[in-house]
Amino acid sequence: MKESNPEPVSAGHSQEKVLSLRGLQLAFGSNKVLRGFDLDLYRGETVMVLGKSGSGKSVLIKCIVRLLMPTGGSVDVLGHDVLTLDQEELDRLRVRIGFLFQSSALYDSMTVEENLRFPLRRHWMATTPGEAEALVTEMLAAVGLSHTRALYPSELSGGMKRRIALARTLILKPEIVLYDEPTTGLDPITGKEIVELILELQNTYGTSSIIISHDLHVARLAANRIALLHEGRNYAEGTYEQFRASQDPLIQNFFIFM
Amino acid sequence: MKAKRRGPLHAFLVETGGFSMFVGRFFRNAFHRRFEWREFVRQCVLNGNGSLPLVAVTAFIMGLVLTVQSRPTLARFGAESMLPAMVAVSVVREIVPVITALICAGKIGSGMGAELGSMKVTEQIDAMEVSGTNPFRYLAVTRIWSTTLMVPLLVILASGIAIWASWIGVNMKDPLSWQLFYQQVIDALKLGDVLPALIKSFFFGFVVGAVGCYKGFTTAKGTEGVGRSAHNAVVMASLLIFIIDLLAVQITDLLGLN
Repeated sequence: MKESNPEPVSAGHSQEKVLSLRGLQLAFGSNKVLRGFDLDLYRGETVMVLGKSGSGKSVLIKCIVRLLMPTGGSVDVLGHDVLTLDQEELDRLRVRIGFLFQSSALYDSMTVEENLRFPLRRHWMATTPGEAEALVTEMLAAVGLSHTRALYPSELSGGMKRRIALARTLILKPEIVLYDEPTTGLDPITGKEIVELILELQNTYGTSSIIISHDLHVARLAANRIALLHEGRNYAEGTYEQFRASQDPLIQNFFIFM
Repeated sequence: MKAKRRGPLHAFLVETGGFSMFVGRFFRNAFHRRFEWREFVRQCVLNGNGSLPLVAVTAFIMGLVLTVQSRPTLARFGAESMLPAMVAVSVVREIVPVITALICAGKIGSGMGAELGSMKVTEQIDAMEVSGTNPFRYLAVTRIWSTTLMVPLLVILASGIAIWASWIGVNMKDPLSWQLFYQQVIDALKLGDVLPALIKSFFFGFVVGAVGCYKGFTTAKGTEGVGRSAHNAVVMASLLIFIIDLLAVQITDLLGLN
């Protein structure tokens, strides 16, 4: 295991870098959340960012899509310096990055079908109504919820919402997907189903991913590499096995319930 | 360390600054080439059509009550024949625009504050933003334009209904033909009565939409914050409506239109 070293440690993905964070800093007033975080993501790879609650994991991925503006460092995504892009360029880049929110964030005034059609309509991804219909049908089938098309988010369970949110995230065929606590708030069985679905869809659509979580079961099932966020920095990086074998007390704390 | 206590003056200045910046952002986005026509039309139907029954009933009652209550006073001075003119001028110039705007602040403004506030705390606005859709243009600009156009239209309709109700009020005591009543109303109303009322209605509409959206977009502290946003939207919009009305009276007075 390497400490604060952003080199990839696992095989099964290309060496093409799709995302690079260098010295990322963010502070809310005097509260310094990120204090120089480094991370690389390679095409086809899944990296899990592990950290305690309140350590700044969600803040980190919000900086990648500039939902939050870092106070220092650089964010390079698919060859673009995210922090210097103008709004139009940023919007174009954001279409290539999927973001699954912890709360699912489905538009509650729209049906499931309208939720899926919304990004397509906004970005002219489907040129004909037939094409849009085919994409919606494909994504609903992929997440196993074809029968929910006419339902509103309030009529869905937590797990179903997460699946529909995943379908909405992937309908634009993003190259990178950022998952914010994809299994939090779900029972272990549904959580496992969501992780398996993420892996299946990742293989089908060939995306690279960053998963934010404090759940090492997710890491074991899905991640090629784990990065531990501690006190605003990339404290350690390695595979699940390397983390499991580590004698570092900070890392061992995450295995208490395993 | 003890947190610094901020006084009401500080809160007022922060609120004024925040709202001014929000209005500035609206004007920077209001004439953008990628205008959200579809959402704008939907909002016009929702806000205009949705408020019409309440505004119509209120206008009818206002016209009727004003006529019935004014008659004895005018009769005491032998000026009963002035009733149509008096009601028309007071209804068109002042009562209907202000009451309609206050109804819209209560119905539309609070609705916007709650809807957008709920979208904000459930990360739906963030989800829209990361999918490459500008949420300000899609949600705020369309809503503010819709109220800016719909409130004056509602004011025109409500004025007509109030005058018609006044005719019914006159007829409850002594029969008077609609033609004669209408002629007296038209003779009494001057451009200096109608135009300022119409112009200030656009400002009222703008304030209702802008305050509702501002409160929605700045919602914090979860579901409790949503309720507070809805409530504050009504309070702030109502206050601004009275301030605009006061300014409008001063301006029309300076221009010699009173």
